[in-house]
Amino acid sequence: MTTLIKAPRKRAAAPQGAAVPPRRRPRGRGRALPYLLLVPAAAVLGLVLGYPLVRVVVISFQDYGLRALFTGRITWAGWANYRTVLDDAQFVPVLLRTVGFCAALVAGTLLIGLAAALMMERLGPRMRTAVTLCLIAAWAVPNVASSLVWQWLFQPVYGVVNWMLTQTHLFGDLTQRDWSGSTYSAFLLVWLLVVWQSVPFVALTLYAGLSQIPRTYYEAAALDGAGQVTVFRVITLPFLRPILGLVTILSVIWDFNVFNQLWILTRGGPNQSTTTLPIWSFTKAFSSNSFGQGAAVAVVSVLLLLAASALYVRRLVRSGEDL
Amino acid sequence: MSLPAAVRARRIGLNTAAVLFCAVWIFPVYWMVNTAFKPYGDILKPTPGFLPFPFSLSNFDDAVHKSGFLTDLANSAVVTCSVVLLAIVVAFLAASALTRFRFFGRRSFLVGVLIVQMVPTPALLIPIFLSLKSAHMLNSLFGLTLTYLALVLPFTIWVLRGFLQGIPVELEEAAMVDGASRMRIIRTILLPLVLPGVIATSVFAFITAWNDYLFAYVLMKDQSHYTLPVWLVSFSTSAGTDYGGLIAASTLFALPVVVFFMLIQRRLVAGMTAGAVKD
Repeated sequence: MTTLIKAPRKRAAAPQGAAVPPRRRPRGRGRALPYLLLVPAAAVLGLVLGYPLVRVVVISFQDYGLRALFTGRITWAGWANYRTVLDDAQFVPVLLRTVGFCAALVAGTLLIGLAAALMMERLGPRMRTAVTLCLIAAWAVPNVASSLVWQWLFQPVYGVVNWMLTQTHLFGDLTQRDWSGSTYSAFLLVWLLVVWQSVPFVALTLYAGLSQIPRTYYEAAALDGAGQVTVFRVITLPFLRPILGLVTILSVIWDFNVFNQLWILTRGGPNQSTTTLPIWSFTKAFSSNSFGQGAAVAVVSVLLLLAASALYVRRLVRSGEDL
Repeated sequence: MSLPAAVRARRIGLNTAAVLFCAVWIFPVYWMVNTAFKPYGDILKPTPGFLPFPFSLSNFDDAVHKSGFLTDLANSAVVTCSVVLLAIVVAFLAASALTRFRFFGRRSFLVGVLIVQMVPTPALLIPIFLSLKSAHMLNSLFGLTLTYLALVLPFTIWVLRGFLQGIPVELEEAAMVDGASRMRIIRTILLPLVLPGVIATSVFAFITAWNDYLFAYVLMKDQSHYTLPVWLVSFSTSAGTDYGGLIAASTLFALPVVVFFMLIQRRLVAGMTAGAVKD
């Protein structure tokens, strides 16, 4: 990056008619070339990401239901969609559930991921490779396939997990257990699945971060007689902080938007008790055909996420200054 | 040289923890493969068998012959391949413009790409559905391809740009002195050198298109236009699910991705963070 962008400035400082040809100022067709190269990307991004991004906001202010879908006649609704959604008796429970479930997922993923990374750092090379391969295998399974495997693992009567839990004799006979039948066990079921597949990214990224910490710091700490906890707090944690921040914000975004796993395993049920904001937006739009309200829920979700990641976004935008 | 007892105890404890961790983490994958290779009907026993013995391919045979599997597999393959190819070409053109030229609007484009990347995709589902509907492109594989292309482009442009920056401009300047045109330079010098970046981004595009369920589920209306994930889920919700066939089909579906991940395992973390961290 740096060499390329700084080069023209250096040239500008050189006396006129210097030996270097001004290769960044081609005439005619050459000047349009960068724009020509960008046209396909800009067209696709604008049409399929930019335009929908604007349109979702527009739709959230329209009375966009079945009638609009068929007649094409759309009326403005003002804030009506937002009022309906925010006044809905479901709104607060759904919001709290979404935030709570997201927090439980992020906390579980980060704690297990950090523990796994610390463990990997202390293992011998062969054992570490084994752990890496297991993590990557779990990570690689597409989440539709893993959701179906989960259904099978926790299947009443034939599920192997039910069978194993029964064999421990700790919880009684669980073979008939239907995990998606009650709110908490349904959430637990999905939590296990999402954490199982999110830990690999976190653990491998944090491990990469850990291996960047210079050995000399640990040696100095050992000479000073620092205990393990002190070493972790004073050396490891500060070094990991930027990576931890990144991993946390990515986990928050991903876990807030968990859709496939919930939809396939619980459909938001039983009795809509596992309906989170993405599921709510989806069912409003595609089951009850109120696209306006669905869009309003989507906009509210995006705003919530933006607020949660405001700091990170600000850093990104500010870093745009030296792009 | 014998180690002090405390050190040895710690090492044994650590290795035990690692073995347990591996066992728990690999178990679902192992159980998927184990189930898939059991003889047809063998999976419905009160005591589960932990080895696929006698070994059998009947579940796979069953899955492949279920109605729609091969059609939807073909749909998935066509859409995924188109997305990968288009993403590479479009992103490469954009990345060369962004790294090899300075022009008005360059910085805004980059910031725009970064911001668009932050928007959660479920929020885009409703407007994309309505737009494709009014363009009469619902149920069209082309519309689906275009959607995936847009979803992968921000990341793809960002990563390819990183790779292009690593290539010294002097190489191109030398070619230019020899009278090569810009397009020729791109084709014969830049493209071969960014091959690792092209591979990394094509894996990303492949996974996005291959794994997606939500968009295909909403945008595709009948079974002959489904992709494999939608087929899998619709198969699982039909009454009296045949889990042997379903799990075998899931295994076939997961296999290409798992193989891909294993092949690029070393670059995986670096690639993932390259898109998000800027240094």
